[in-house]
Amino acid sequence: MASQSLAPAQQAAPNSASTPSKPKSSHPPVSILSSQFARGYALVHPAILLSLVAYRFSSVVNDPVAELLSDIPFLVGLQVVYVMGCLPPAGAEKDGNASADGTMRKTPGPKRRGHSASKGSSWSTGLVTVAWKLTPALLSLTLTMLLATPTLALLLVLFGAPLTTHHILTFLCAAHMALLSAFPLIYAHGVDGEIWREIWGASRPADAVWGGALGTCLGAWFGAVPIPLDWDRPWQAYPITILTGAYIGYVIGMLVGRARWVFGKRLEFVPQGARDIKVD
Amino acid sequence: MASSAVPPGREVPTANSLLKQAQAATKDKSKDEVGKESEEEFKSKHLGLLGVFVWILFLHIVGIFYFTKGFLLTRMVLENKSSCDVPPFNEAPRTQQLNDDCWHQKSFDKAIVIIIDALRYDFTVPFAPNEDIESAHLFHDNIPVLYETAISNPQNAFLLPFIADPPTTTLQRLKGLTTGTLPTFIDAGSNFAGTTIDEDNLVAQLHAAGKNIVHLGDDTWHALFPGYFDHDLTRPFDSFNVWDLHTVDNGVNEHIFPLLEPQNYTKWDVIFGHYLGVDHAGHRYGPNHPAMAAKLNQMDKTIREIMSNIDDSTLLVVMGDHGMDSKGDHGGESDDEVNAALWMYSKKGIFGRTKPETVLPPKYARERFVPQIDLVPTLSLLLGIPIPFNNLGSPIEEAFAGPNGNDWNNLVTVNRLASAQIKRYQHAYAQSRGDDGAESQLLGFWETAENELQGKPKNLSTVYDAYRQYQRHTLHVCRGLWAKFNVPSMVQGIAVLLAGIVLLVFYARGLQADRTDITGPFLSRVGLGSVLGAVAGTVLVVIRVTELKVLEASALFAALGSILGASSVIFSTQCLSIPLPNSLWGWLAVVFTVSQSLGFASNSYTIWEDEILLFFLCTFGVVAGVSSMRQGTTTDRVLGVYHSIVFVILARLASLSRLCREEQMPFCRSTYYASSTSSTSAPWQLALPFLVMLILPTVIKGFYDGSKSYEGAAGLWIGIGFRLGLFVTSIFWVLEELDGKDWLPLDSETLKSIRVFLAQLVLGLAFAAGTTAFLYSKPCVSINVAQSAAEPEPTVKRPSSPGEQQLPRTTVTILGFGNVHGTRFFFLSINFCLAIMLMQKPMGQGTMALLLWQILSLLEILDTNSLVTSNSSIGPIVLALLGSFYYFKTGHQATLSSIQWETAFIPLTTVKYPWSPLLVALNTFGPQILTAIAVPLTVLWKRPLQLRDSNNASSKPALKLLSDVAQAAATYILYFSTINLTTTMWAGHLRRHLMLYRIFCPRFMMGAAVLTVVDVVLILFSVAGVRWSTLSVAEIFGW
Repeated sequence: MASQSLAPAQQAAPNSASTPSKPKSSHPPVSILSSQFARGYALVHPAILLSLVAYRFSSVVNDPVAELLSDIPFLVGLQVVYVMGCLPPAGAEKDGNASADGTMRKTPGPKRRGHSASKGSSWSTGLVTVAWKLTPALLSLTLTMLLATPTLALLLVLFGAPLTTHHILTFLCAAHMALLSAFPLIYAHGVDGEIWREIWGASRPADAVWGGALGTCLGAWFGAVPIPLDWDRPWQAYPITILTGAYIGYVIGMLVGRARWVFGKRLEFVPQGARDIKVD
Repeated sequence: MASSAVPPGREVPTANSLLKQAQAATKDKSKDEVGKESEEEFKSKHLGLLGVFVWILFLHIVGIFYFTKGFLLTRMVLENKSSCDVPPFNEAPRTQQLNDDCWHQKSFDKAIVIIIDALRYDFTVPFAPNEDIESAHLFHDNIPVLYETAISNPQNAFLLPFIADPPTTTLQRLKGLTTGTLPTFIDAGSNFAGTTIDEDNLVAQLHAAGKNIVHLGDDTWHALFPGYFDHDLTRPFDSFNVWDLHTVDNGVNEHIFPLLEPQNYTKWDVIFGHYLGVDHAGHRYGPNHPAMAAKLNQMDKTIREIMSNIDDSTLLVVMGDHGMDSKGDHGGESDDEVNAALWMYSKKGIFGRTKPETVLPPKYARERFVPQIDLVPTLSLLLGIPIPFNNLGSPIEEAFAGPNGNDWNNLVTVNRLASAQIKRYQHAYAQSRGDDGAESQLLGFWETAENELQGKPKNLSTVYDAYRQYQRHTLHVCRGLWAKFNVPSMVQGIAVLLAGIVLLVFYARGLQADRTDITGPFLSRVGLGSVLGAVAGTVLVVIRVTELKVLEASALFAALGSILGASSVIFSTQCLSIPLPNSLWGWLAVVFTVSQSLGFASNSYTIWEDEILLFFLCTFGVVAGVSSMRQGTTTDRVLGVYHSIVFVILARLASLSRLCREEQMPFCRSTYYASSTSSTSAPWQLALPFLVMLILPTVIKGFYDGSKSYEGAAGLWIGIGFRLGLFVTSIFWVLEELDGKDWLPLDSETLKSIRVFLAQLVLGLAFAAGTTAFLYSKPCVSINVAQSAAEPEPTVKRPSSPGEQQLPRTTVTILGFGNVHGTRFFFLSINFCLAIMLMQKPMGQGTMALLLWQILSLLEILDTNSLVTSNSSIGPIVLALLGSFYYFKTGHQATLSSIQWETAFIPLTTVKYPWSPLLVALNTFGPQILTAIAVPLTVLWKRPLQLRDSNNASSKPALKLLSDVAQAAATYILYFSTINLTTTMWAGHLRRHLMLYRIFCPRFMMGAAVLTVVDVVLILFSVAGVRWSTLSVAEIFGW
């Protein structure tokens, strides 16, 4: 409860606090890896996810608990393939710098062990890379389940999900959302406090990872809209629309986040020139 | 050194600069006069601002009035009662009548009136294939007794379609069936609360005639006719549980048949039996279901059994009060919903048909139907009681035509009686309304009929037809008056409201200039426009261009003129920008308001408004948390996130308090009262007021402590006064709950007086003492002036007391400097919070405490995100959302039935005007009132204290403050006026919708009421209060 400044009105000091103070180059946006597989799969992955949603939709409506539970291994598999195949793990980019078009000069991996995709990959280096990437993937998976899922479940309840019933569904919904949003974030950024402050402040530069996470949340938000309508459709049951919205939002977010005209841009709450304008 | 209580950092230099300014101020002797001038200017500008808001209120009232005039057609309830001694004729040719008869010789001594709720006409007649339905459904041919008897013994029974006037809800139907009048949404009666029928009606007339009336079944009757039924024999049953098909019906059967046994036959004169099974089967399963067939079969058996048990002097009536639609629901005005059936039976054999083609009951409901109100004169005359005064129905032909169908004498007599009573009613109605529009055009029909009768014609059937014509024409005209929407009037109202919103948008969000600067020209143009408009309206009425009344026309044209005047000022201002949001916050405010407004077009979003508001509030809380993470300083970040989390959790906590409306079932569980069927609190809920007393003042103290503002009057006010008030409130509610439980050695009268005393004590504390204190209290600061030889710093003293001599080397410590305006004004919120809490049930007190806490959290969020100084629209809009949200969390819904009328008796023993309605308003709209009071805080909380810059004579911080308050208040009104406009528009647009009377119309009424209340509270208390809080701050710190 800080006392406000005593600045007279002429000094419009307070607004300066609302603009993000971090230098923009300190934590650059995450780029999709430059390998052939990465670029290809980064486009195939959303398509697979959406077709999975479409394919399993009727069984989710019929028995949400069983279906959502049995879907989790598949989702985990898909997301693990995606993050390992397409994203640099946390720390890999420490020295590497991304060029504007999103291609990496340096491929990920332990610094002395870097190899170029153009060299042609031998099986052994491939296996080593996979093994080397598996650890952060598994670690992120654990963190996703232990931290992100309960957090999202709590948020769902706060937004009006039933408090005393439907616990399993809430948790399953949160787990799906966490696998979509938090898992790539943790994989790509680890537990770097500064980056996570940016994430919580929604001030990350746009990229596939952050775009997907934001898209998941916004999609789930919009997914709640049809629930109260009295259409008496079975798919209106909680949490089917929310989860569908989350999937669609995730796909849109990760694609838009990579788009050239969005990539690297940051969300502004208050426009830069707002300090002079007293009305919003 | 001048030290201030604010934490170190960027504040200190500014504090110093302020002190330098203050010091400069004292040096200048003329500053004192400038201060006086500034004070006067502030006061007059403040008054002008109130004038602007009064004009906005005027626009809202005109708009709502015009829409309501066209939409909610009201009917006056006359309290006149018919009586045996006063026949409807002026002359009294009663020679042919027997002494114990009333207006007409009675045909029956006793009557059994069976209402089978939702008995549709096509249930009762044999299935006849038509183009819509080719084969019989499950609801066909399952209750054949009515048709069979009407065919086999036409002199003993007749069956007719019985058409209801919408709305087809049981309560409205029972009103029509007993009073003989047409329903309107609001019957402007004299009773303050409840649904009791004031008008003359069948039940009251039977009671007055000394008949012993027994009622069995649906308990709606008891709400309508309290005290008329025999206590020992009557058995009411709860009508709410539509899932239960059998309890009510079996209960009625269990009690009705013993009454028909010979030894009990003399104990009653009239039995009203109301069966609900058919209706419930419809609601639950729909008509085409085996349960419906079984239910109709059961009814068939029941009627046969009753028939076999009655004697010759008893009339048996079976009817439906409305029909049901294809899904089994009702309430609207579709054919299936209004088509009910009427069947009368007696062993005497007095019924007849005047024409051979009317012997068979009609095949379809739209042939030869009778309006339901016809039951009233028919039953009255058959039982020998006067026709209820307000009746518009006609005697049913079959009941009076005699066994051979040629008793024209009788038909003319009864129709003349009914016509005369209708004429008398029309006359009385016209007199009390002050116009004779309908009466004079209809008198011609009456005179025609009278003249025909005087001419002693051979064929009385023409006289009979003439009387019928008079009756039906009157009914037609009245239906036109009372049940037709006046679309032009509705459009006029909407246009005024819309224009008001457009102007308000520009005033609140588009104007870049100081709002106090344009007040002068604004008010003069508005005044000029109003006067010209009023004159124009009057002239138009005088030269008869319009048929409106003078007052109505001049109000409408004054509104239009003032809108033009206001537009000419606002749109000619240089500093006008397009009122589009330019930050995420602004967009958020727009999205909340607009999406909710659009949602009111759907009945689902209207029903689930409380959940939607929770969703929006949580969204705001999360965005606020995210935004707080972006703040530069750690303090702002931590505090912002902390308060955002608190905000969201409090909202979710409050959402646990629910009172479900019928339409939310079965997805909602009421927690507001002890159970879903009671309106008393559970014992654990009584602990809530005590918890509030312990916790809430401490929470407020925490917020004051944050800026070291728990100084001056704050401790006394919050820690002692407020807490004491809350304690007395807790005691009050414990006593309230103990009433009737015999736990205390006090009789209930003493208990009642103690309670009333306690309640008045709390209200006195909140309003009398609280207001006085608010007017005269000093700001929550503590100023210490200490001698200090070491520091050669310049001195500072209060500019307002020039008498004191300056002392050199003085250290000034000001505690509570950071939030002078906010903490001072917040006292007003505390006063209102205390009064509103007293008026809430214990659960509501808990949620109101959460509301106050949430308001404070919101203010801190606004501060840490720099939204106080930037006049963001999000603050007032979130306050408005909070107000709407907590409306639902204090046991209310957007339905008339959720109004807690009994709260009028918290501090009073009898109904007293104007206090009782005000008290109910304080209970109903408490949350919106409290948030309206808090609106200025969105620009006052932790507002940096600015003093007049001595170098810049044009800077007027007090006027800037006033302008910001006006902007916040206008934004707050904008939310409610948008809601009001859209609910109005949707109600008007969906006026033929099935759910109009259940969902859209109540929501429109709520929106209009809330807008008016909010406007008035802002003018009288909220914006007005800024005057005293600012004066009191300026007294210490100068202008």
